[in-house]
Amino acid sequence: MRGVPILEIENLRTYFYAKSKQAFIRAVDGVNLQINRGETLGLVGESGSGKSITALSIMGVVTAEPGVISGKIDFKAEGIETDLLQDLEHYVHLKDKDGRVMEVRKDCAGWQKQVERLMGNIRGKEISVIFQNPRSSLNPFIPIGKQISEAILLNSPGKNRREAKQRALYWLEQVKIDSPRLRFDSYPYGLSGGMCQRAMVAMALASEPSLLIADEPTTGLDATIQSKIVDLLQELKSAFNVTTMLISHDIEVIKRLSDSAAVMYGGTLMEYGPAGDILRVERESKHPYTAALLASIPSEKHIKEKAYLQAIEGDVLDTINTPEGCRFYARCNRITEGIRGKCQHHEPDLREISPGHCVKCWLYFD
Amino acid sequence: MGNSILEVVNLKKHFFQSRGLFSTLRGQERIIPAVDDVSFYLKEHETLGLVGESGSGKTTVGRTIMGLTPATSGRILFAGKDITALSARDFRPLRKEMQMIFQDLDAALNPKMRIRAILKEAISVHRDINGGQVDRKIGELLEQVNLKESKLTNFPHELSGGEKRRVGIARALAVGARFLVADEPTSALDVSIQAQVVNLLKDLQTDLGLSYLFISHDLRIVELVSHKVAVMYLGKIVEMGLANRIAEEPRHPYTHILWSSLVDKESREASRTSSGEKSADWGVFDFERAYRGCRFAPRCPVYQARGRPEKCTNPSTEPHLHDIAEAHKVACHFPL
Repeated sequence: MRGVPILEIENLRTYFYAKSKQAFIRAVDGVNLQINRGETLGLVGESGSGKSITALSIMGVVTAEPGVISGKIDFKAEGIETDLLQDLEHYVHLKDKDGRVMEVRKDCAGWQKQVERLMGNIRGKEISVIFQNPRSSLNPFIPIGKQISEAILLNSPGKNRREAKQRALYWLEQVKIDSPRLRFDSYPYGLSGGMCQRAMVAMALASEPSLLIADEPTTGLDATIQSKIVDLLQELKSAFNVTTMLISHDIEVIKRLSDSAAVMYGGTLMEYGPAGDILRVERESKHPYTAALLASIPSEKHIKEKAYLQAIEGDVLDTINTPEGCRFYARCNRITEGIRGKCQHHEPDLREISPGHCVKCWLYFD
Repeated sequence: MGNSILEVVNLKKHFFQSRGLFSTLRGQERIIPAVDDVSFYLKEHETLGLVGESGSGKTTVGRTIMGLTPATSGRILFAGKDITALSARDFRPLRKEMQMIFQDLDAALNPKMRIRAILKEAISVHRDINGGQVDRKIGELLEQVNLKESKLTNFPHELSGGEKRRVGIARALAVGARFLVADEPTSALDVSIQAQVVNLLKDLQTDLGLSYLFISHDLRIVELVSHKVAVMYLGKIVEMGLANRIAEEPRHPYTHILWSSLVDKESREASRTSSGEKSADWGVFDFERAYRGCRFAPRCPVYQARGRPEKCTNPSTEPHLHDIAEAHKVACHFPL
């Protein structure tokens, strides 16, 4: 992991307060990540593991009353260097009784103002996002071309309308929408899912961000369209060298696009390192969770023999009552007698087992 | 090989889109042929996979078979009995034998009912049964789908995706169905949970001798669970045959492209440049575009490569499903 970091996340914790249970839902619980310039970082994990909440925390859109964030997110781009979570903690007051959170008081207006102060010239300009469902993130009442040029006008004040339109057309071409001039005036409902996603990509890239966050960009699209969106992202990656944080539960997509990968489970990182090392099935030294995830993808052999798939038994961790030991303990199939006690009662830390490759598992260190 | 449990003959389902009074008066009503002349059969204890892009009519086939929308024409035979034009009342006893697992987990389960009530309703709706028996039956169902008993008091929104899917399957089994239409049962699930659900469906097939119509756009899963596969394109079946055969030696250009578009295919890396070119002119799937002759021609690489033969676009020579090898049918003039 050498290179110039553009985003450094340190001990990020995003909690939501559940009133009925008088406890925090620990959606993200101590994440340390680093994205270098020009690199694509893939974030994998089952649903409920905290991938999307990590992204939302970076964007500063976890604003609702029960959401509480702590930690540090250092963002460094040309001429900008800030902690995106600066002073946010002052707006929250906790009241607890014998270790139980009794009440969370949050000054929502103040929090919101502070977030806007911090994110004002970053969100949408320095960091942009492609969301999961393209159709619901586009405005249904405005033609896509207009939406894209609006984004351009907003982020580069020097441009006039005609220049913005030219620019929007340029980006529509870059994302390979056929006959961009015609599509410029189409409304989202007139476009297929794949085309809407392309328009979203165009809008995200139009402000020429330093960091692009793609949250499940291929989910919900047909297989043929999926592979084309992946192709597109790959081409854009080599053409514009955009730093990307790619979130997906589809391991194949991550494998094809990422330089480094982070595997999340129950709100924390289980494994972090070069994508090639982590996501290759043959490679042995890896976290049991990663191994189990990879094994549950139907392989050629499974398909030909119509064999049973290897499932991970049990369900995703309930992040209200996190166990004191390893979070994966209940579902792990590689616990040996020698380490069982440690797995059950002590949480391992994320430690480096080979240069750049970190694993959070007692199997690899004593 | 058993008897056929389901037979579909020349099934058509057209939707009519009215575009205001004026157009209707002038007879300009638009017809959308969601399912256009589809025939297939399914044997007992077997699985037929139905694949295609979204909008190809897969789900409509499933819904029409279940009698949820009336067919425009054609015949559906269930266990030898014609069920196409049955009235709702006559259809009711059949519901005991055929059930559907719906795609949308959240829409399929009543959010205001606890899991116990959902299962209980399904059990008692078709027969007179007393309290003790219901509880026993619920216990049996939970065991079959491998769901914890503590979940019975939960509401659907408190369950994870995999658990909701299990409840959906349990509800279908509650009436004692022997034929299930599974509409995208694994979409929107994580790979680990998807594996659990696929294993469960396979187990149930062995234990209870169920037959499935398995609708999915995930080609790998379809190949894994199905004995036979039918590929749909714009409301028509373009290729049908044994699952392994279709995956390994697809004969229709569309099937070929579908299978080679799988994101991971290892060989893809090697042939990156060539496949990249091929997918470049792979146009957009459009229901509304007028077609003549073969529906796939506008996107077909073979059609392009052969210099746009007139045969492919002539309305009078639209290709029909014909035998090309043993138990392998294809609807194409120039099979690969």
